[in-house]
Amino acid sequence: MNKDKLNNAAEYALQALKNAGAEKAKATVFGGSTTEFNIDGGEFSLMRTIFNEGLGVDVITGGRKGAASTNAIDRESIDGVVADAMTAAESGEPDPAWDIAPYAEPRDFPGGVLEFDKDALFDAVRKLKDDIAKGWPNILIEQLIASYHRDYSVKMNSNGVCYTGESGRYEVGLMFSAHEGDKASSFFGSGVRFTDPTQPLIDMGSIRADLDAVAKQVDPRTFEGKFDGTLVLTPAMFGEFIYLAMGNFTSDGVIIEGTSPWKDKLGKQVADPRLNVRVAPLDPAIVCAERVTGDLFVSEDYDFIKDGVLQCFPLSLYASNKTGFDRAKNSSGALIVPAGDRSLDEIIAGIDKGLLLGRFSGGQPGTNGDFSGVAKNSFLIENGKVTDAVSEIMINGNLADVLMNLRGISRERVADGGTVLPYAAFDGVTVTGK
Amino acid sequence: MLNDIITPFRAGFASDAHTELRLHRNTRRGVALLSGSLVSNERTEHSGVSARVYRGGVYGLAADSGADPESITAVLKAADENARFMNSRAGRGKPALPALEGGSIDSAKPYDDVPQSVMIEFAKQLDDYIVKNCPKLTSRYVTVRCDSMEKLLRVDNGFDSHSLMPRSFIYLDFSAETDAGVTVELYDVTGGYGGFADNFTDPALLYPFVDRLYKRIMEKREGVYADAGERTCILGAEVAGILAHEAVGHTTEADLVLGGSVAGPNLHKRVASDKITLVDYAHTTPQGVAPLPIYVDDEGTPASDELIIDKGILVGYMNSRETAQHFGMTPHGNARAYSFMDEPLIRMRNTAILPGTDKLEDMIASVDDGYYFMTTNNGQADTTGEFMFGIPFGYEIKNGKLGRAILDTTITGVAFEMLKTADMVSDRMDWTCSGMCGKKQPMPVGMGGPDIRCRIMVGGR
Repeated sequence: MNKDKLNNAAEYALQALKNAGAEKAKATVFGGSTTEFNIDGGEFSLMRTIFNEGLGVDVITGGRKGAASTNAIDRESIDGVVADAMTAAESGEPDPAWDIAPYAEPRDFPGGVLEFDKDALFDAVRKLKDDIAKGWPNILIEQLIASYHRDYSVKMNSNGVCYTGESGRYEVGLMFSAHEGDKASSFFGSGVRFTDPTQPLIDMGSIRADLDAVAKQVDPRTFEGKFDGTLVLTPAMFGEFIYLAMGNFTSDGVIIEGTSPWKDKLGKQVADPRLNVRVAPLDPAIVCAERVTGDLFVSEDYDFIKDGVLQCFPLSLYASNKTGFDRAKNSSGALIVPAGDRSLDEIIAGIDKGLLLGRFSGGQPGTNGDFSGVAKNSFLIENGKVTDAVSEIMINGNLADVLMNLRGISRERVADGGTVLPYAAFDGVTVTGK
Repeated sequence: MLNDIITPFRAGFASDAHTELRLHRNTRRGVALLSGSLVSNERTEHSGVSARVYRGGVYGLAADSGADPESITAVLKAADENARFMNSRAGRGKPALPALEGGSIDSAKPYDDVPQSVMIEFAKQLDDYIVKNCPKLTSRYVTVRCDSMEKLLRVDNGFDSHSLMPRSFIYLDFSAETDAGVTVELYDVTGGYGGFADNFTDPALLYPFVDRLYKRIMEKREGVYADAGERTCILGAEVAGILAHEAVGHTTEADLVLGGSVAGPNLHKRVASDKITLVDYAHTTPQGVAPLPIYVDDEGTPASDELIIDKGILVGYMNSRETAQHFGMTPHGNARAYSFMDEPLIRMRNTAILPGTDKLEDMIASVDDGYYFMTTNNGQADTTGEFMFGIPFGYEIKNGKLGRAILDTTITGVAFEMLKTADMVSDRMDWTCSGMCGKKQPMPVGMGGPDIRCRIMVGGR
């Protein structure tokens, strides 16, 4: 990786944009490599190495915005991208909401581990494969991808902003299912981001708990009937529900359009007072998280929901200017939810009828928050105990209502390198069997 | 169009391994108007070269965004080193892949890659029509999306190829409010294979498309929630297409069979009623050129059709060269890579349930109390064949007649069980190719189907 080449490309692109008449411009250049090992159908299958570079530019001229990107950073390619972006801008409509970040001191953001230990990663993956074969003999690894990513980026704008950063990280993601004869569970995915490949992968994130759960789902029973009950979300599912709420109720489009049911809820109660959601890429548990936002502001942690009260709409600079609300202090998905005061077992012990939800197969909820989908990799909760694995069960509810109906948050939390989340239980969800 | 700078490097292929060398370029163009404001206006180019080497049952791949002689030499060397590393650590001692017949196909035809201004002007004219003719909307998106994928492939055995697949689409997303102030949404897409200029010549030609979507969302404003439970329903052609792809097609991809999919123990068994036949077409369907024609895959296998379900019996899988060797089957050209850095994976091409002999009106008349599910906005399935499709639009069927529109709902089932209940299949079918299938990598795919009467679980509220 040639940092000088990448720095020069960014400077050249920014100057070329100015020369082409850009009033405001932004150029982001990255370069890096990825090496990965793949397992397919339980067997090692592929080693892949990728060398990639890229350039993205935004231009604002006469209040009109254009953008273009490429993964070639020779001067001819940069000239082409600049011309494309300028042409795009000239074709656009003026909108005073388009803008770029103001000047700030140049900074460098190194992070992670910059030396790739190929042998250690391969050995860690082989150990994980062996651990699974010994500890969970009915589990078949459908696919596993273990990778090391190293990249360098330089981000500049015409207000003088210049941020650089070099980082390296490891990631493992695996899909697996349980099999006994012709019986099979649904597939399930688990993953972690980390910096030390000599540590046992089986103990990272929720991998062990996920294998335990799926191994018991090989012969799920169908459930007949319908009930309104409690939904207990695994940490990963809880994260998905929070992301759904952020996207559905607070993202750029719905706030600009005013179609969000939370459009008037800033500073008001949108969830149970025990719920706190922080978006915190600077938290030490987050591996190589965002340090600079997409709009080229230095990332800061922020509270999304505090004591159940909505603290902000996580908007882009454009949407912020368009609506008058503050922009988001970071554009990462680094969710941190503080632990509750009861164990998962204590929470479940108080539930008469419910569902422990491992995965949700459903579409994006409607703008009003109604959701409907299939509960996958899930267990029934009956009379305070987790009982049978179930299949062909649908769940329905309203996302905004659910967040107000919190029953409890667990003491246990899972840190997977990207988020730190507990289990959470919510009342008022309809569960329908066959 | 890509210049052939890779052929001279064929001489550098390792003589004791199978090697593929691919020059690959993806483009994307996008324009989006949100209630008249231009909120997206982007052009993207993504290209590079990759090499893949097969040794002893494992692959090594290397890719570089540079596409110069130095990069090509480097990726060939790195791919072989990766293959040797994997073979030394985790080799499976497999023999070489069976040799393929050699040849060459150049199916790449240039197209007019129009500037952003053309797409923006078209979208604005369409948006003006919407403003004038759809007064009860609360929000509207007009989105233009175009992409293309060009590949130049050289292999040590099999077919060399040069292909170019452009697609262009216009999406409309409408929002409206019910009298109670609740937002309802609906979207539709039109377009297909070809560049923007091939598919969109005059905004006025799309006015009926706008009118239909507006009529539907107005009906949906007055819509009712579907009743939950298992019912006799009719899956519209669009829904049948995604069923063919998500719930059946994926389970019959041979890599997922090796990963434990439900198709493994069901080969040569009945998995559907005898009304159901499912084919993955390569480049030509009974209706003509396939929505996304594939002539050679990215392993150099010439593409031909794959019969998957024949009158209800599961008869085949989709294969790569390696899985075909494993299962003793013939590869039909399903191994495709999305970008220069990607390895070919087993992917569907143009997957469809074939039409039957029933008339749609007879099918509707045969249902006493059910639903006609017409469109889908989301589809997921797992390797057990259990599926979930979001249904943003459809109608009640009461006493053999279409009734009120329904609000968003979800349908679910287990494909190989549900398809056994298919007892009527319409004589018409629809194709779509706007989808981007996700499986480690994205991939443009075509899918199609007829209307199907069957028993299915409905989510209701």
